[in-house]
Amino acid sequence: MVDIVFLVLAFFAVGGGLGMILFAQPMYSAMSLIVCLIALGGVFALLSAPFLFMVQIILYAGAIVTLLLFIVMFLNIKKEDLPDEPNKIITIVAGAVLLIPFNIMILKAFSTFPEKSMYILGDGFGAINDFGIELFRGWLVPFELISMLLLAALVGAVVYARKEKPNG
Amino acid sequence: MADSLLSYIALAMILFSIGFLGIISRKNIFIVYMSIELMFNAVNLIFIALGRYNESMQPQVIALIIIAIAAAEAAVFLSLIVVLYRRKKSLNSDIFTVLSQKDAAHE
Amino acid sequence: MSNFLLAFIVLVPFVSATILGIMYLYSIKISKVPNFVFTLFGLSAPIISFAVGFSFFLKMIVNDEIILYKAYRWLSVDAYDIDMGFMADQLSIFMVLFITFVGGLIHIYATGYMKDDEGYGKFFFYFNLFLGSMLLLVLADSPIIMFIGWEGVGVCSYFLISYYYEDSENVKAGNKAFIANRVGDLGFIIAMVTMFYYAGANGLDYINLEAGLVNLPIDLLTFIGLALFVGAIGKSAQIPLYVWLPDAMAGPTPVSALIHAATMVTAGVYMVARFHFLYDMIPNVGLFIAYIGAFSALFAAIIATKQTDIKKILAYSTMSQLGYMFIAVGLGAYSVGIFHVFTHAFFKALLFMGAGAVIVALHHEQNIFKMGGMKDKTPLVFYTMLIATLAITGIPPFAGFFSKDEILLTAFSSEHYLLWGIGVVTAILTAYYMFRMIFIVFFGQNYKKERTIHFVPNSMLMPLVVLAIGAVLAGFIGIPEVLGGHNLVGEWLSNWHLDSLHVTHKTEILLMGGNILAAFIGIFIAYKKFYMYDMKDVAEPQGIIWNKFYIDEIYDRFIIQRTKALSIFISYKIDVNIIDKIVMGLSNSFIKSGHFVARMQNANTRFYAFTMLLGISVISTYLIIVMR
Repeated sequence: MVDIVFLVLAFFAVGGGLGMILFAQPMYSAMSLIVCLIALGGVFALLSAPFLFMVQIILYAGAIVTLLLFIVMFLNIKKEDLPDEPNKIITIVAGAVLLIPFNIMILKAFSTFPEKSMYILGDGFGAINDFGIELFRGWLVPFELISMLLLAALVGAVVYARKEKPNG
Repeated sequence: MADSLLSYIALAMILFSIGFLGIISRKNIFIVYMSIELMFNAVNLIFIALGRYNESMQPQVIALIIIAIAAAEAAVFLSLIVVLYRRKKSLNSDIFTVLSQKDAAHE
Repeated sequence: MSNFLLAFIVLVPFVSATILGIMYLYSIKISKVPNFVFTLFGLSAPIISFAVGFSFFLKMIVNDEIILYKAYRWLSVDAYDIDMGFMADQLSIFMVLFITFVGGLIHIYATGYMKDDEGYGKFFFYFNLFLGSMLLLVLADSPIIMFIGWEGVGVCSYFLISYYYEDSENVKAGNKAFIANRVGDLGFIIAMVTMFYYAGANGLDYINLEAGLVNLPIDLLTFIGLALFVGAIGKSAQIPLYVWLPDAMAGPTPVSALIHAATMVTAGVYMVARFHFLYDMIPNVGLFIAYIGAFSALFAAIIATKQTDIKKILAYSTMSQLGYMFIAVGLGAYSVGIFHVFTHAFFKALLFMGAGAVIVALHHEQNIFKMGGMKDKTPLVFYTMLIATLAITGIPPFAGFFSKDEILLTAFSSEHYLLWGIGVVTAILTAYYMFRMIFIVFFGQNYKKERTIHFVPNSMLMPLVVLAIGAVLAGFIGIPEVLGGHNLVGEWLSNWHLDSLHVTHKTEILLMGGNILAAFIGIFIAYKKFYMYDMKDVAEPQGIIWNKFYIDEIYDRFIIQRTKALSIFISYKIDVNIIDKIVMGLSNSFIKSGHFVARMQNANTRFYAFTMLLGISVISTYLIIVMR
């Protein structure tokens, strides 16, 4: 049962990814990306990380990609603005071939891990309680630093996107 | 299938590869950005899988932090795209070569 | 230490040459040096060398020994040690004596001939350099040292022939001499190397080579002997390498006198005599040498009968007389050949110097058909040249009679009648063309009586007199027993003397008479044709003989042009097309690959990412294979 769920989710993730890189229009790619992200969220849930499942949906699919879509529509992209991409397919195929050894290497490394069950764990793992405990116990400092980072990003985005002064 | 670490890792690797392929093959700056985000997600998946494997919460925290960083990066990246689009009126990532030596010599 | 004086003979001319050279450079760069300083150094060299050589000669008469002196170890390679060594035996001291004596007289002559020339110091530098090289050649104790002198005289011959270098024809003549010599030198080198390889186990000087050569097979000895003779052909202007000698007359007359009459050209004869221990073992090669000499003598004499340039007549005459010398040494009568070298030096130098005097007197005119009546204008020159001509034609009691007669006697008595016949015919021709020259130059009527005679200085006339005396007396040291004399030359060069003469005294006397008769036949024909020659109605000379049998043209067409075409082919086709393509192609490929690599830095981030992917892929494949 869990297997089937996993397979379906994996199918959507990979399909979304492929769609994302193959579509010419950024809008369609963004849609594919959302599909992929939500499927990934599902996989997170399968891995006993329910909180992260929700964070993924809220933050990634709900905020980041939304921001992306907002910018796409803000820039008013028409068909003519899109750049020419003649060698798309051939580069993808060549890159895929070149990536195979890398993948094989990583997978071989991971296949040496001893077998362990990956099924969903029960209490004490992955719930928001445990997550909060872990976050605010060991990872407080990074937590605060992240907030500063977000502030910097905010300021940077505002500065960049200002209207330019007309002094040439 | 869902029981082994390897399948999750395989899924993550496939997604990572797809993201990488997107970077090298697409010229449209938006697609490039989305590919980068996909690669982030693949890494997140690996972290969480390993967290479940070792029954530790720490990788999940790391994953959250990564998501937060990705958000910050999104803001900056997208505002940069706006600025560059205003300058060059084009979404082709290949034309932004000002920092290269070839162009610097011309200017 | 007294043996060091042996090296001194060779050293003095070289040192003098160095001093002269430095002084000459000084005189053209800084301030002029007066001529008499050059004369002082230039003349002192042959005089000192003659004095030292004469003292050795006396010593050898008293002690009857061979004097050796090893100066220092020159080269030491593997098992071969070559010393700079000098050897004075009867043969070399004999050569030293007349080289320095005649050479000294020619030096004196040159002070008068070259006195108005700007390069006076340079001339004596070359002259002394030549003298030193020639002395090194004859006093060497090993073929290698002799080769140094051999090359030295060749180089000096080139310098001196091209002395009037502003005219490119003279330089071409010098080149021709050097290159023809070079062809001969190749034979010499091959022979020398073969000798060293097979016979040089104990040492590379003549004494040890002689010991080493006795055991070698005849084929090898024949090869060595022939190759050595090739060197002699080049140096002594025999067929086929004689073509440089007539052109060499482009040099100043003292050069022709010294180098191409008395000394350098005789180096080939000396070499055959020096290697008598080799040629004694291969009489077939000796016979070949004798025939080459005979044909060269005949050939040259025929050409000389039609020449109009006074110096060229004498040049061909030299080649002809050299042929006689080779007949003698080819048949094993080395002492006879050297004797002819000795007498020839006197009368040929005299002839050249007299010709030079005539040329100077007539303002550098060299065509005999534009001369005439010099008998009354320059009587001293006339009488001395007459003596020399009588000597060369073989009229007794002048020098040439005795030496030429012995050569013909050797040919007859060793039953090579063809050689003897050619020698006699050549003697007739010699008499003919020499007296043709005398009659036209000194007795003819076709010069303009108003033409003034340029003054001939005493420094040019005095050596003529001395040499004339020599031409008269020189023969007397070789009077054969049949006439009641002691063959002093034969006794002195007893190692090189051929004792096996099978003819009776009566035959000898008959042969002598025959030679005199031959000479008078030639003189008579010349007299009939040329005594009171009036050249007003003579045609331009032409014909095969006048054109020297077109040998030069044949050489040019078949050898020189082919070689030139080959070298052009190699330089353009092979060098430019093939080798340049390879070498430049190599460097160009590096440049192109540099450009290719430079294109990778194109500021295209995607391309960089792709390249990173490439690298990762390669590394992963490697790791996969390694970690299997």
